[in-house]
Amino acid sequence: MLTLLQVLTSGIAIGCVYGLVALSFVLIYKATATVSFMQGELLMLGAFAVLALNAGAGVPIWLAVPLGLAAMTALGAGLERTVLRRALGQPHLTAVLLTFGVGLVLRGAVTAVPAASHSVHRLDLPFGDAPLAIGSLALAPAHLAAIAATVAVAILLALFFRHTRLGLALRACAEDPRAAALMGVPVAAMHTLAWALGAGLAAFAGLLLAPLAFVHLNMGLIALKAFPAAVLGGMTSLPGALAAGVFLGVAEALAGLVLPEGAKDMVPYVLLMAALLLFPGGFGAAFARWRG
Amino acid sequence: MRMASVRLPRLPAIPRRAAAAALLAAAAGIVALMGAGYALGQLALVATFAIAGLGVVLIVGQAGQITLGQGALLALGAYTEGLLARHGLPPPVSLPAAVAVAAGGGWLASLPARRLGGLYFAMSTLAFALIVEELLARAAWLTGGAAGLTVPTLALGPVAAGGAPAEAAVSVAALALAWAACRRWVDSRLGRAWHAIRADEGAAAASGIDCARAKAAAFAIGGGLSGLAGALYAHWIGFVSPEQFGLMLSFELLVLAFIGGARHLAGALWGALIIVAIPQLIALLRDLLPSHLAATAGLELLLFGAVLVAVVLWRPQGIAGR
Repeated sequence: MLTLLQVLTSGIAIGCVYGLVALSFVLIYKATATVSFMQGELLMLGAFAVLALNAGAGVPIWLAVPLGLAAMTALGAGLERTVLRRALGQPHLTAVLLTFGVGLVLRGAVTAVPAASHSVHRLDLPFGDAPLAIGSLALAPAHLAAIAATVAVAILLALFFRHTRLGLALRACAEDPRAAALMGVPVAAMHTLAWALGAGLAAFAGLLLAPLAFVHLNMGLIALKAFPAAVLGGMTSLPGALAAGVFLGVAEALAGLVLPEGAKDMVPYVLLMAALLLFPGGFGAAFARWRG
Repeated sequence: MRMASVRLPRLPAIPRRAAAAALLAAAAGIVALMGAGYALGQLALVATFAIAGLGVVLIVGQAGQITLGQGALLALGAYTEGLLARHGLPPPVSLPAAVAVAAGGGWLASLPARRLGGLYFAMSTLAFALIVEELLARAAWLTGGAAGLTVPTLALGPVAAGGAPAEAAVSVAALALAWAACRRWVDSRLGRAWHAIRADEGAAAASGIDCARAKAAAFAIGGGLSGLAGALYAHWIGFVSPEQFGLMLSFELLVLAFIGGARHLAGALWGALIIVAIPQLIALLRDLLPSHLAATAGLELLLFGAVLVAVVLWRPQGIAGR
């Protein structure tokens, strides 16, 4: 029972990372109809940016985190302004290749820094590593921090999309860019905003992942699990993507308990294919139909 | 809502004759500089990539769908061929088996998305490829796991295709066969169905075309071509391991079709030429750079990414598109 609870917590924590990356992917896809294959690289770069500020330049962690996230948000906006907007209105293939190419450039640039490519690093939490004991249940603070931070981000995003003019404009633009433009929404600026938010969210997911795993060049591979999460969430639903990410994290953790070694990593992709066959609209749509 | 911020000048299309002349000159230059053996080895590689490229051209250019898992289908072909050849089966048995397994894989990879289309094909083929990669690495009793598998020389009885000239001859012959088959398919009822689906799927369905079936056929045929390419590649390299056939290869094949121009079968050939040439050009470029820059890790990655971005920005519809 205790093992199960601990496995569940770690599954939820890693699922939060999947969910946040899926959220950033769906946000960009909804707002700009662009498929981004570079969220993993943005995640990796975000973790390295904060690491470089903290361990390299000696900036305290409470300042390094917002500075790093701001830099990544600016990078997302800058990339949209210069490169990514040229994929607008083109077939998906164009955006896939363009973002993949930009991702390779980012990855190559980080690899070129010897300190980054030669060793794995740890980004330590400001409140230490001592497990939190509740009775005989011991929970890792990194897991709890990831879950708490994800909940906080989800609430902030919900407030932003529901209660601010900017959030409403972004939603309108995602719904129907032409109608939004006619209502006076600056659609091009909204695309920039979507990419800025998408890059910031991916970088934030990298920060949550950093204490759970190590900071290294291949940490972005975890973003591949965001695609199953996005599909399970129905491809266009932000809460759906987040929930599906958490679901995948838990499913993977449970599969690690009962299935043979290695099967765990295939679970999200098997679920993706099964979900497309059985519930092509995502679990949310299937649930709504089932309720009538 | 297309708002291009910077307009790059559109370059005029390169005349066919000039391109052919440049190509001949380049080929002659390579033979003169590097020797005929090297040139033939590269020719075998280009022809093998072009076979796989034909598969991508059918799926992407003709049927207008997207695939991110062709690398895994090459892996299926390569491993099937390698395992059967190790057990002493002759190529007339093992090659069709490799093609059939990869075609089945292509069909299976596209199955979940065939009624949804578009981006969902990207998702399901990607998931399929990641599953195959993991299975190949895990099923060590069959595939040798991550350590890989050595593959014997392609041989039929006493005749063995060892050495660059024989490899080049077999690859070019296989490419010619695959090309002729693709020509027929593109001009057939199925090829016209693909064109109709690419232009307007709703209209195609209204005209009585079974869209799901035509798309499944594109993925199965594309998979079979990948399987053939994978089987030949396994023999030429003599060794297969899961990481040769990862996501990077799938993307390289997509880039191949995009750069070459997916609308025409010839795009596969041009793309294969460019994809085989890019790493060598990058190596050349590296020699020109000052030594402290050239030693930088990640330079290949950076340059390949930069070339890809530049090509997509220069021609968002592909080099030979419209």
